[in-house]
Amino acid sequence: MRSCLAACLAAAALLYQPARAAEPIVTDSRLITEERRVQILEAKLASLQREIDLIEDRKAIERLQQLWGHYVSEGMAHEAALLFSAGPAASIEYAQQGVYLGRARIEAFLKAGGARLQPGELRETPVMQAVVHVAPDGRTAKGRWRSLVMGGVQGQDGRWEEGPYENEYVKEGGVWKISRLHWYTTMSGSYDKGWHRQSYPAAGPLANLPPDLPPSERYQSFPSFFLPPFHYLNPVSGQPVAWDYPPTGSTP
Amino acid sequence: MSARTFCQVAALWLAAVIIQPALAAQAPNAPPPAPDLAPRLARAADRIASIDAQASRVEDYNALRNLQQIYGYYYDEAQWEQVLDLFADDASVEVGLNGVYAGKASIRRYYYGLTAGKQGLVQGQLNNQLQLSPVITLGPDGQRAQARWRVVMQDGVFNQSANWGAGIYENEYVKQNGVWKIARLHLYVRFYSPYESGWTRATAALNERYGKSTAKADRPPTQRYETWPARYTAPMHYEATTSDRYRLAPPDSAHAAPPPQNAPRTAAQLEAQVRALDLKLRRLHAVDELENLESSYGYYADMSMQDATSALFAENATLEILGRGVFIGRDRIYEYMRRLGAPTDGRLFTHMQLQPVIDVSADGNTASIRARLFEMFGVNGSQAQWAEGTYENRFVLDNGVWKYQSLNGYQTFYTFYEQGWGKHSVPLMTYFPGYPPDLPHSVEYEPFPAVFIAPYHFRNPVSGR
Repeated sequence: MRSCLAACLAAAALLYQPARAAEPIVTDSRLITEERRVQILEAKLASLQREIDLIEDRKAIERLQQLWGHYVSEGMAHEAALLFSAGPAASIEYAQQGVYLGRARIEAFLKAGGARLQPGELRETPVMQAVVHVAPDGRTAKGRWRSLVMGGVQGQDGRWEEGPYENEYVKEGGVWKISRLHWYTTMSGSYDKGWHRQSYPAAGPLANLPPDLPPSERYQSFPSFFLPPFHYLNPVSGQPVAWDYPPTGSTP
Repeated sequence: MSARTFCQVAALWLAAVIIQPALAAQAPNAPPPAPDLAPRLARAADRIASIDAQASRVEDYNALRNLQQIYGYYYDEAQWEQVLDLFADDASVEVGLNGVYAGKASIRRYYYGLTAGKQGLVQGQLNNQLQLSPVITLGPDGQRAQARWRVVMQDGVFNQSANWGAGIYENEYVKQNGVWKIARLHLYVRFYSPYESGWTRATAALNERYGKSTAKADRPPTQRYETWPARYTAPMHYEATTSDRYRLAPPDSAHAAPPPQNAPRTAAQLEAQVRALDLKLRRLHAVDELENLESSYGYYADMSMQDATSALFAENATLEILGRGVFIGRDRIYEYMRRLGAPTDGRLFTHMQLQPVIDVSADGNTASIRARLFEMFGVNGSQAQWAEGTYENRFVLDNGVWKYQSLNGYQTFYTFYEQGWGKHSVPLMTYFPGYPPDLPHSVEYEPFPAVFIAPYHFRNPVSGR
């Protein structure tokens, strides 16, 4: 009998369900435990960490690109070249001047042309109107910007130059670098006469420093029409944005 | 115990042994004793504090960008009381080689001394100073910051003068009671030259005309330098070789996130904090999305691309530009854009969108931008124009996508290239022929040379004025 009683107690113990420590909450019509809820919030926090990193990446890229404009405006070719990726694929391309590959060649190009300031020369290069997209993995990014350059040499005619950048960036060792810089000339024109009376073709290759590659795109600046391609789709419609050349119809 | 009772108990025992695994199979989550969540809640609290600190640095960055750009909009209009509110009490101002004005009383005398002791522009005055290209550096303690900016000046007096100018700001900022203020404003003037002759004929004497106040400076200039055509680089507040390594959030542990306040004790408390952090990040992300959107509008308008441009608007959005009246709905906006004409050879239609002051609502669902419109037009061989104006735009988050709810473009000046704003300014543009608006324009005003301040969507970020 005594053993029977023991067996009964054992059975009761097996059937006993311990009460939960806290009341369950109802989420999505199901009961989840406090622990499960914490687990979900931990996962959400991990995703917020990725989001804030990407937001901060954008600011770092903005700052990087603005450093570029300030160095170029001061004729600081070496400092401007340091903003580029150290990899062999890093490139710079201005107007129709061709492509220079690698940081050493980029610096040579900037010293010979892109950021060269003769005595009495001016090249005010504001960098403006940002459209930046950081890749979801936070390792690369692309940006469109524009510059309106006030250029010229003391005592001579000044020059207006306007056009967009379509640039690419890469994060190397936690630091954002420019991997590709491409500045398009939309218009280059005379200060004294105005761009409607005197415009200049987009600059061609430097005679004393031939590029490593020919221009990636052939185009002509104002008075020709050219739409430098966008790296991104329309942010609302998701459609590609382009205009056929030569443009057809559509004028009312 | 009777035999019968014994059998009953035995049956129950047998049932328990057999049924228990079946029960377990039916309810696999038969919970173990509640685990102690306290360590996980503590780790989550640390993580929230760390992400929040990172987000606060980005908030600071955005606030500093807005602050200097707002300074520019107030400066344009000689709204000196608004300008003064942006400074810390012990701030200083130094423009060109005009010496240092230290403390708010001196700064007040400096600004009023630019405009004959009166606040605001008078008829015929233009005072534009475009705030561009920031390199913002937050101090490690989060209470100080520095920034380099590039400015373009575009000013003059109608029928008397017009000037182009350029310069560099190297400024300092301080956070007091959670609000960023200007601690030191230092503009290095590069050139300031008459519109007619342009910057290539600038001289030191011409450059030194800029920013001259009738008030006497407290101290001589901190830097003696020669303006263009001499070569002079305003000192950079960052080191060239390390400047690109800068991160908004300092990596060193000395400035790690502070220990969490109000550490959550329950999952419900944790959830409330995660939701608040999520909103903070969504509002920061919105700033970037909105900047992309506003910039894209400019790039699309450059090319008169009516499909791409009108797609940026909400279904029931409104558009109001110059004195052309109010157009309601995306279809009408499409037609408006179509009337600007297609891009073609020989035509330049550059619509620069600059100096965006971006504010996102507390709930993260609506936003406003004030931006500067700067345009270059050209018809090859016949005419070119400059134009400048102000946009005040509203945005709405529609199913996760930011769209224009309203766009309002105010005309400051349109002028022919040969004459410039010193000699010519087009009256307020009226209705398109054959395409009347749905409503007349909502604000009555006259463009330059009249004085008109486009209504601000924001209050003074320091004083709330």
